[in-house]
Amino acid sequence: MPELGRAALVVTLGLSLYALVAGAAAAHLGRRRLARSAQNALVASFASTAVAAAVLLAALLRNDFSLEYVARTTSEALPTVYTISAFWGGQEGSLLLWLLVLTGFGAAAVSMNRAWARDLIVWAVPVFAAVATFFAFLLVAVASPFVTQPAPPDGAGMTPSLQNPYMLAHPPLLYLGYVGLTVPFAFAMGALISGRLDERWLIATRRWTLFAWAALGVGQLLGSHWAYVEVGWGGYYAWDPVENAALMPWLAATAFLHSVMIQEKRGMLKVWNMLLVILAFSLSLFGTFLTRSGVVNSIHSFTESSIGPWFLAFIGVVVAVSVGLVLWRLPALRSVTRLESPISREAAFLYNNLLLLALCLAILWGVVYPMLSEAVRGEAVVLGRSYYDFFLRVFGLPLLLLMGIGPLIAWRHASLRSLGTTFRWPTIVALGAGLALLLLGAGSSVPGLVAYTFSAFVATTIVMEFVRGTRARKALGASSWPSAFTSLIGRNRRRYGGYVVHAAIVLLAVGVAGSSAFDSVAEARLTQGRSMTIGDYTLTYRSLEERQVANATEIRATLDVRRGGRDLGTLQAGKNAYTIEQQVSNEVGIRSDRLTGEDLFVIAEQIDPDGSVYFRVFVKPLVNLIWVAGLVFLAGSLITLWPDRREQRRLIARAGEVGLPATPR
Amino acid sequence: MVIALSVAAVLAVFLLYTSIAGGGNPSLAPSELGARTDEVQLAGVVVGPVLGDAHAGGLRFQLRDIRGDSRETVPVRYSGSVPDLFRAGRHVVVDGQLRHGTFVAVPGSMITKCPSKYAPKRSGDSA
Repeated sequence: MPELGRAALVVTLGLSLYALVAGAAAAHLGRRRLARSAQNALVASFASTAVAAAVLLAALLRNDFSLEYVARTTSEALPTVYTISAFWGGQEGSLLLWLLVLTGFGAAAVSMNRAWARDLIVWAVPVFAAVATFFAFLLVAVASPFVTQPAPPDGAGMTPSLQNPYMLAHPPLLYLGYVGLTVPFAFAMGALISGRLDERWLIATRRWTLFAWAALGVGQLLGSHWAYVEVGWGGYYAWDPVENAALMPWLAATAFLHSVMIQEKRGMLKVWNMLLVILAFSLSLFGTFLTRSGVVNSIHSFTESSIGPWFLAFIGVVVAVSVGLVLWRLPALRSVTRLESPISREAAFLYNNLLLLALCLAILWGVVYPMLSEAVRGEAVVLGRSYYDFFLRVFGLPLLLLMGIGPLIAWRHASLRSLGTTFRWPTIVALGAGLALLLLGAGSSVPGLVAYTFSAFVATTIVMEFVRGTRARKALGASSWPSAFTSLIGRNRRRYGGYVVHAAIVLLAVGVAGSSAFDSVAEARLTQGRSMTIGDYTLTYRSLEERQVANATEIRATLDVRRGGRDLGTLQAGKNAYTIEQQVSNEVGIRSDRLTGEDLFVIAEQIDPDGSVYFRVFVKPLVNLIWVAGLVFLAGSLITLWPDRREQRRLIARAGEVGLPATPR
Repeated sequence: MVIALSVAAVLAVFLLYTSIAGGGNPSLAPSELGARTDEVQLAGVVVGPVLGDAHAGGLRFQLRDIRGDSRETVPVRYSGSVPDLFRAGRHVVVDGQLRHGTFVAVPGSMITKCPSKYAPKRSGDSA
């Protein structure tokens, strides 16, 4: 079987190499049949990669420890679902998953746009093929998942913290996001090389970008929730390089999704959009590099590996070639129109873009700073949490405010008077909310208070937009309010789905501000029967139990929880000691208040032989809004992603009118 | 023009930050620590025995280099939260400074790295 897997990967490498060379030749010489053949090779490379993936999956399921990869990531006792998740648990499997998704996305995107954007497709195919060739080469020559060995009696097993349902969804979603960003990149390069620089590459890839961006967003929130409930240190995001690795392309893609609208409506920012696509794709490669190379001190690092230099070289080539192409086409990328006023929707979107990019680059700087300082000063300097928090406030808070302003301000030129009318109510509500919160004692954290106030502002604008739109639909003859509301969303999914996503970001901002700026912590060593207080909670340590389960010993401390005079029941916190892996893991106790979104978070830090326990307890106000935000984000993304034939036809028709060749080749 | 201005603004914010908060901490291996007593980040492999109580008086252990052949170790005293994965042989990172020959860690600053189950075992890792 491993031979089949190896052979399938070699076939993939051959096919993608053929698609690259034949595709480029066909596009350059204008040979239609050869181009078609290159496209077919791309589709076939998906099939051969799927064979390789099936071989690896089968080996994992059969516990075939003669494969080194299987022996390293699984064991006999590992439950079947986690045996499947071992597919992306290691480096080689991750790369294979990447290649599988890449060839799949490439084949699908090419087939779907073949009919109406042929001149783009002929160049997008070799770009896809180039990326696929790189990954196939790594899998064949550098990091093969099909290396065999004399089978050991049992595998090494999987780290306990990864034996978790989140690990079934979190990594694949991030990969879908990372790889999905290849699609806009390939079409953008296709547009650059072919010189067809009209808006069609944007129309062809809009849904793909949205999909990749939504998958990255949901994947990250799942990861945060996993960290919160499983890793057990009381937080959900630690600005770890590997976490930042997913955040950076997401921020770049967010900027791109916004600036694309400006290009579609006003023909501006063409160069900027190209650069954002290149940045997003390079950052997704850089993210994989960070996760897999171990060059930075990360709590996630999987030690150094052989693929690091290859990745770095590939990123260098990608950036150099794509930026070179942009420079080459610079004259053709001139804006049709100019910015008319600093107070206009275009300008607001531009500010939004600059802030997103600034935040993204500040994070990137923080991530690479240890490497740069090591190279320059011979000493790796690590930038801590305060660095990232500072920039999140400086760039993130204005960004939050702009989210309320941008969608409502007029195109081209807005008068100050019209601004006054548009934003009268949101401003009043925001100031009122801010004042009320100040009186309630939220002044203890200025950034927190500002975040709340801005959130109130944005929330009001979103509600107003929905009310106004629904009213208009009703006036246009919708039979009832609910049908007016649904037809409003249905007829303009992009806009109102966008508002729903904005609402999710507001919830996220409130949740993050609440749980980080206004949280409290207490710790104490308690013997049985003793109590500790935090806020208005009183916790009484009752008993300690020890249970033996299949692969671990579970120790749990039971606490009675009271708030005010009210009994809130019991909460358990403790530790699991895993026998085979010889590891201990914290199992935290969390009590969520459904009404206020507040969490009581209990860690049993240390359990002493005499039965006393050192507890660390957090109260995190509003933290549950973050997870609610995840659901709202998903809903908003689905609304915008839902296929809308009418809109697609309209966009294609418009692209047709614009006329095809913008510049001769 | 707008872009140029924004770039200037971003640079200004950077300068503002560095003037307020200073740089970060240098990250060192135990053999590089020498006699320096400023606040640094120390990354190394835990060498047992691990003694003491993290919540009373502090945990005491030694750290040695992750890479290279240096046998040099640095005694560390640490109090506060101990990550799940902490034990002899694991890679940990702590912030702190050297005081009277012992590296006194900032309470709660310890992070451990995910165990390298996914990478080939190296002989040095099984201390």
